Amino acid sequence: MRTGDRGSRWAPGTAVAALLLLAPAVAAAFTVRSEVDARKVGVQDQVQLTITVEGSGAPDEVPLPALKNLEVVGGPFQSTQVSIVNGRMSQSRSFTYVLQPRAVGSAEVGAVQAGEQAAPAIPIEVVAGGVRPPEPRRPDPFGMDPFGDPFEEMLGRRRGRAAAPKLLVQAIASRTKLRVGEPLVLTYALDTQTSVADLQFKEAPQYAGFWVEDLERPQASPSGEAVTVEGESYRRFPVMRKLLFPTKAGTLTIPAATFRIGLARQSFFDAGGVVERATKGLTVTVEPLPEAPGFSGAVGRFRATASLDRDTVPLGEAVTLRFRVEGTGNLKWIDRGPEVALGGARVFPPQAKSDLKTTTEGVTGSRTWEFVVVPETSGTVEVPALTFSYFDPGAGRIVTTETAPLALRVEGGTVAAGLPAPVPKAGTRATGTLPLRSDLDAHGAGALPGRTVALLAGLALLLHAGIWGTSRLRGASRRRGDRTASSRSVRAALRDLEHAAGEAASKEQAAILVEKALHEAFGEVPDDDDSERARAVRALLDDARFVRYAPQLGEYGDKVKDLAARAGEAVRRWA
Amino acid sequence: MNSRRLALGLLAVAAAAALLAAPADERFREANELVRSGDYPKAIALYGALAASGRESASLYWNWAQAATARGAQGEALWALLRARELDPGDRAVVRDVERLREALNLDPAEIAPEPLAAAGRWARRLRADLLAVGLLVLSLVAHAAARIRPRGGWAGGAARATLSLGLLAAALPVAASFARPTATVVRRAAPLLDAASPTAETTGSLREGEVVPVLESSGAWLRVEDNAGARGWAHVDDVRRLDTPPAPPSD
Repeated sequence: MRTGDRGSRWAPGTAVAALLLLAPAVAAAFTVRSEVDARKVGVQDQVQLTITVEGSGAPDEVPLPALKNLEVVGGPFQSTQVSIVNGRMSQSRSFTYVLQPRAVGSAEVGAVQAGEQAAPAIPIEVVAGGVRPPEPRRPDPFGMDPFGDPFEEMLGRRRGRAAAPKLLVQAIASRTKLRVGEPLVLTYALDTQTSVADLQFKEAPQYAGFWVEDLERPQASPSGEAVTVEGESYRRFPVMRKLLFPTKAGTLTIPAATFRIGLARQSFFDAGGVVERATKGLTVTVEPLPEAPGFSGAVGRFRATASLDRDTVPLGEAVTLRFRVEGTGNLKWIDRGPEVALGGARVFPPQAKSDLKTTTEGVTGSRTWEFVVVPETSGTVEVPALTFSYFDPGAGRIVTTETAPLALRVEGGTVAAGLPAPVPKAGTRATGTLPLRSDLDAHGAGALPGRTVALLAGLALLLHAGIWGTSRLRGASRRRGDRTASSRSVRAALRDLEHAAGEAASKEQAAILVEKALHEAFGEVPDDDDSERARAVRALLDDARFVRYAPQLGEYGDKVKDLAARAGEAVRRWA
Repeated sequence: MNSRRLALGLLAVAAAAALLAAPADERFREANELVRSGDYPKAIALYGALAASGRESASLYWNWAQAATARGAQGEALWALLRARELDPGDRAVVRDVERLREALNLDPAEIAPEPLAAAGRWARRLRADLLAVGLLVLSLVAHAAARIRPRGGWAGGAARATLSLGLLAAALPVAASFARPTATVVRRAAPLLDAASPTAETTGSLREGEVVPVLESSGAWLRVEDNAGARGWAHVDDVRRLDTPPAPPSD
């Protein structure tokens, strides 16, 4: 009983304590999930991050987790779901973000923290290009969403797209009255009250009667410019600019252009949409240019200069004459360089080089014509002042600018191969004539094919080897004691030995003849040859040298005869 | 008696050569007149016929290049000049005009010289390295033989070694050049590169006018070439002309 009493006494307290302990758990009876729709994306792709809190006591807001190598380009879009199952109500709230990778590499959505609950971080691999199928519509062409929905901000809730979006496109010409060749800037602008995701020509307009150059997209404020059109307020965004040069006089029309405009999604569940809008056609009055000799249609402001790449040149070599026009206007049109005729030099047709940039003022930069000039006479070749005429819209007349005259000193020398012989007559006009050669020179003998040369070189090497081998073989055979001397050599040696043994010869002459005969019959006898033949020949040579250089102290006739006889025997035996 | 016969024979050969050459010279002058009168297509056809008949020379291709330039066919002009350079690598005017046309066609130097060994071949022809090599090798053999016959003549051995070394060096140029792949010049703007040697083949790309491309193989009127970017395909000989052979005779 006591126990029961004690139990009954503690029961209410325990229940209260349990309730107190459970209260926070009940209050935090929700879960948080963080999910992405892809773990591997291209740097051009987008990732959808969904953070879901589910259960009772879920917070109304969940802070955006830390992002690594990712940035938010859309969202958060919220959605709430309430479901009642078996009489119990559950609620879930989702926050959806559209993320864009910044660079190739690893990216990460950090851990999500909602109250006491957390969801782990999610790593994402970012690869080059795009790995996901392209979306039907591109994101905002302005790089960010400048069109914040004022109604959404004002009302603090999502608006349906019940009403037709208020959008206009305008074509604005910088001027409507100008001369042929003068530029006008045509700006296409979007006036809008809503967000757009994409804008492009439905069909590229044809600007009949104009030369068109594209200009860079204008820099505009992200929030656009406030304008009022027919009593309605819009934000104006210039979206495209073109530079138009009229090519003929009269009344020209810039045709209406139709754009397809993609509407940005207002929420996660909004599919967006596409609308078409057209500009109004514009009329431009174009006045003709005045006529003048030498005027090629250049309109703008220009300056002309001329230069030679060197002042002195040997006869037969070429120099480059550069005629440069720089300034702003319709320089791109001007194809033809000036006519250059030089006395005493051949001028080849020029090559034109351009360094041009399109700006709102026109085409700015320079155009250079390079003439190859080949002097034909020694002395000084005068390059006269070269002129360039253009229409100056500011002055309203044709202006002629001219270069300073130049002098080229041509030094005497040999004419370069292949050039025609110098023409002594100066003052002839060479431009337009082709430097033809008058003689069909005979083509020289063809070169031997490489294979033939290789074969010949190989053959020569073989022959060298043969000569060397033969010589070695002869030496070896002699060393072996073979009779390898030619019969002619043997006969000559024996003849010399007969002369040596003759009475008329002095001992020196006789010794020389014996030495010569031995050399003729046996050649060089190497010192390392220890054969009987070599020893005998060396002994005979020693005796011959003794007889030759010994002082004349007595009669050497017998000695010489003996030497010649022994040498003859050796020759007959071994040579 | 023998020398008289030799002189008579030489005279006969010279006369025959003059007789054969006379019509070619006349046709060359006729072509030049056509150029001067502005009839470039006819003039080029005449130059082509002359070249195909074997009367090639640097002068012929020089004039051909002038006519092609005047006609606006810069690729063809560059081909003609490169062919002239092949025939006479020492012609400075040709070399200068090749550079001028290359710049006009916006080509890099490497784009008209895809085969470095071809330059060795031009140097070999310019220096007549083939004849020089043969002469030096013969001299080396003579000197070597002399050195063996007269062992005491010390100069002969040295001379043999020196002439043999120089002869082998001189022979190395034409031998190295023989390993160069044949090349061809694109003579038509945006000439198509096809995936097979057939006019109905698929186009896989286009070739730059004036670009010199290695010829990998040939099949009838088609050449398989490789462009500067490494793309390989077939091109028609009307669009791409070989530099190692004279043009084919015009077909009727």
